[in-house]
Amino acid sequence: MKFPKISIEELEESKKKNFEERLKFIDSYVEWLKKTPNKEWSKQQKKIVNRKK
Amino acid sequence: MKNKTCKVELEYGKESIVMEKELNELDELTINISEAIEKTGVKNVVVSGYVSILFGRSRASEDVDFIIEPLTKEKFLEVWNSLKEFECLNTEKKEEAYKEYFSKGIAVRFSKKGEYIPNAEIKKPKNKIEEWVLINRKKAIINNKKIFISPIELQIAYKAFLGSEKDLEDARHLYKLFKEKLDLKKLKKFVGELKAEKNFERHIQ
Repeated sequence: MKFPKISIEELEESKKKNFEERLKFIDSYVEWLKKTPNKEWSKQQKKIVNRKK
Repeated sequence: MKNKTCKVELEYGKESIVMEKELNELDELTINISEAIEKTGVKNVVVSGYVSILFGRSRASEDVDFIIEPLTKEKFLEVWNSLKEFECLNTEKKEEAYKEYFSKGIAVRFSKKGEYIPNAEIKKPKNKIEEWVLINRKKAIINNKKIFISPIELQIAYKAFLGSEKDLEDARHLYKLFKEKLDLKKLKKFVGELKAEKNFERHIQ
């Protein structure tokens, strides 16, 4: 299989964009957290934390 | 400053943060280790990523970082005995754990017996900030269990200083969650001292 010709600049730009999107996700997640009962958000968080790697 | 009830069902006070939640594996490990160490009278504080996870950050971690006060060999052995329901991942020998790891500033890791992750990384302070955190630790009461955590303002500033994407995301989570409750003057001071203004302004604020 032929490996595509890559542009490091393009990859750097994608990486930057992904990071910015994750930061925006944190903002919306925190807003959700603030209006969600602890019992509910912590139940959902537990599924992520307890998942074995 | 009086305790205030925050939208996220927690009380954020100058001395402590009180919260109820469904405990996950990291919470349980942290509470159990902290209670065991505390019973020996040894000062301990939890720092780094777990502080964000405690308050809802949506990620896992393989470890929880504890800083404890520097100990004599005798006192270290007392702490070791208090953690007998856990397994030390570095060595089975307590004398070696002290001599080859703890006394040299290398973390001693403990996990639930038979498990490798998650684990608690226990070490003595290795710089002025870690010494400061131990002295100025903040109490967190989680489901009526007491642990000690790094002050949120320092935690945010230090993560801004570290600067990896994960660190900046952890810091942003804490900042966005607690911004109405934080001592912003103190936060700005820490950020300045750590020369982390650029990361703070670009990615956290």
